[in-house]
Amino acid sequence: MNRQELHTMAIKAREQQASCKHKIGVCCGAGCISIGAEEVLKKMQEDVKARGLESEVAVVPTGCMGPCNQGPLVKYLPENTIYQKVNAASVAEFNQAQLVEGKPILSSLIFADSRTKPFINAAEDPFFHKQLKIALKDCGELNPEDIDDYLVHGGYTALSKVLFQMSAEEVIAEMKQSRLRGRGGAGYPTGFKWETVYKYVSDQKYVICNGDEGDPGAFMDRSVLEGNPHRVLEGMAIAAFAIGANKGYAYIRGEYPLAIKRIELAIKQAKKIGLLGSNILGSSFSFEVEVRIGAGAFVCGEETALIASIEGKRGTPRPRPPFPAESGLWGKPTLINNVETFAAIVPIINNGGEWYSEIGTPKSAGTKVFALAGKINNAGLIEVAMGTTLREIVYDIGGGIQGEGQFKAAQTGGPSGGCIPASHLDVKMDYEALVSLGSIMGSGGLIIMDEQSDMVDVARFFMEFCMDESCGKCVPCRVGTKMMHDLLEKIYMGSATKLDLDRLEELAIYVREASLCGLGASAPNPFMSTLRHFREEYENKIQPEVQLVKGI
Amino acid sequence: MTTLDIYIDDKPLKVEPGKTILEVCRENDIDIPTMCHLDGLTDVGACRLCLVEIEGVNKLQSSCTTKVSANMVIHTQTERLKRYRRITTELFFAERNHICAVCVANGNCELQQLGYKVGMDHIRYPYLFPSCEVDTSHDYMVMDHNRCIMCTRCVRVCGEVEGAYNWDVMNRGFNVRIISDFNTPWGESGTCTSCGKCMHACPTGAIWPKSLSGEQLHKNPEMISELVKKRKMNL
Ligand SMILES: Cc1cc2nc3c(=O)[nH]c(=O)nc-3n(C[C@H](O)[C@H](O)[C@H](O)COP(=O)(O)O)c2cc1C
Ligand code: SF4
Ligand code: SF4
Repeated sequence: MNRQELHTMAIKAREQQASCKHKIGVCCGAGCISIGAEEVLKKMQEDVKARGLESEVAVVPTGCMGPCNQGPLVKYLPENTIYQKVNAASVAEFNQAQLVEGKPILSSLIFADSRTKPFINAAEDPFFHKQLKIALKDCGELNPEDIDDYLVHGGYTALSKVLFQMSAEEVIAEMKQSRLRGRGGAGYPTGFKWETVYKYVSDQKYVICNGDEGDPGAFMDRSVLEGNPHRVLEGMAIAAFAIGANKGYAYIRGEYPLAIKRIELAIKQAKKIGLLGSNILGSSFSFEVEVRIGAGAFVCGEETALIASIEGKRGTPRPRPPFPAESGLWGKPTLINNVETFAAIVPIINNGGEWYSEIGTPKSAGTKVFALAGKINNAGLIEVAMGTTLREIVYDIGGGIQGEGQFKAAQTGGPSGGCIPASHLDVKMDYEALVSLGSIMGSGGLIIMDEQSDMVDVARFFMEFCMDESCGKCVPCRVGTKMMHDLLEKIYMGSATKLDLDRLEELAIYVREASLCGLGASAPNPFMSTLRHFREEYENKIQPEVQLVKGI
Repeated sequence: MTTLDIYIDDKPLKVEPGKTILEVCRENDIDIPTMCHLDGLTDVGACRLCLVEIEGVNKLQSSCTTKVSANMVIHTQTERLKRYRRITTELFFAERNHICAVCVANGNCELQQLGYKVGMDHIRYPYLFPSCEVDTSHDYMVMDHNRCIMCTRCVRVCGEVEGAYNWDVMNRGFNVRIISDFNTPWGESGTCTSCGKCMHACPTGAIWPKSLSGEQLHKNPEMISELVKKRKMNL
């Protein structure tokens, strides 16, 4: 297929869709599927057929729509009316109301149980209109199993533009101008990373998409892979073109069977019409992608461990330098980026780096996807511009704290991050602001806690996670996290003394500075940040010192 | 030959490019303790004893895996590094069962030496005392996991020097264990050649010969380094 044929194919697909008056999207993300979305989809298709409407109403599965704890979700387009908690038995009622009578069922609208007046056009609800969807733009809108639907949404035009209108240097310049930073946690500037790999001369280079997503409670990358797999593939292909690679790996954790299925399907579809493979769209650029399935170790998300895992070795990190950009997969220069990073490439190429760089804050451009969870009314998947305040996320988008509870803290960055107390609800969320509060952006886990939460318990929980997930290679992390966990447990149980807390603080700094990789280096963060903001909770649990022997 | 100018502990040195900081330090009698390093084996940077401070680099780097570069300013003996070496040593002792008085390696143990070197007078962390296996199934050697510090010298010497790949690592965190083949008794190994290199490479009393009867355990890790050197010369 060449460029013109791609264009024709997209027009055809668009015409075909235009012939339908309605589109019904049934959210088939892993969350909604787990509570019966597939049954709803089946019933929906049957009901539309029974009404003889299949030529004017398209019924499609979509990726995650966002409000995950209200599922299964069904969206009617063009009205953009979303219904929550839809079960298969009531499908006919919804179709009758929407398609025949044109009168929405108000009591089942999204957020009907928490808003006094729910919205018929879901886009007007603060949950949606306070968000800015770039990485997730078409997620929850298009059918992730249908490449035509992706083409209708402008798919593969960015790749086509890059292949025929841009040089590798120009792509890199565009990425640098966008000021996009890696969404996998550390926030390293993506354009600079691409440039570094580009500059190494080698007969072979690789692109790796990091879809290991091991943080407890995080599901941003899973949702992107499930909801819009072609977007990730296209981003990888553009990256490969820019750095001079012809082979890519999508490393996805084994606990994500649906994401694996959809990306594999997307690869097959793209290959079939020549969007992956040799001489893509008739250009001189060739690129293949293979999926590699992780076995669920948190540490395999760390880039050097991930590379070892792809090579078939035990997934343990190794000291850097050399960085993967110089010596990565099989010793070759390798670009490794996160799923969400790759999902941002296509809109940057289409709209320009300048456009992206104007969104967000001076040091953190663009948007960030968060997995909003915990004691919050509207839990789910959200995407906001960098610089959105925590208060807006919690109260406008999240709809406030569940029940009569009061906001106590937000935990960001999972086991590598920390807690933001209520006194900082107005923090503008970006990389720098979170670090200055002793937390990190991390990959996007955002857990909201109310006053019932015991902060020592929170620290103990995350330390237990790190202790269990430590690869066991280096001593500070292998033994240090175990000792720290035991000390936290002792404090939590009320049998520790001031000496134990001092020892814990000393160990925390040692583990942070002496560990080999980021897992150990950041494992003390939940403890250190809760100690910083909630020290009294630790001190309240400590036994008064009994001095038995002087001089020790 | 080109040389690089570097500073170690305020001393200017001219060194060959391509060397690690640890190599340079050893050549210049600068004492940096190590456990997982053994001359001749691939370095893994796991024990973290050899960490050094490099000016302009915000993270501590393991000197066994970091190559010298021009104008590097390195500090190897700061108070912080000494404190960390001591904590690491204490954690080694607390992790399993290191009661020297009842160990075959008493007096001939690199871990015991390390304790003296870093000035460890007591251990501030509770001994974890996991109950580990003692594998006596091999004809000539014993593997006592209670004395193992997971330095993986045995794993590397077996794979890289002997080429037998008998040893490997399983599990995660403090549950990691050295295993023979696919976690079967050493005596049933289909890969072990009984060469004894792992016993010599092992810095503690974890691997020892059954022939030991009354006389002191003698390990010769330098033999491994010599062997690797000679093989390189033959090539
Ligand atoms: C313990 C640990 C776990 C990590 N897990 C992930 C992960 O699940 N996904 C991810 O993209 N990056 C993860 N990272 C970060 C990666 O090492 C790497 O920095 C990232 O994939 C680079 O992509 P980016 O520049 O697009 O952020 C992890 C790092 C550490 C230390
Ligand atoms: S810090 Fe932890 S996870 Fe990382 S290498 Fe060390 S033991 Fe392994
Ligand atoms: S058995 Fe000896 S050489 Fe092997 S890892 Fe344990 S301490 Fe190191």
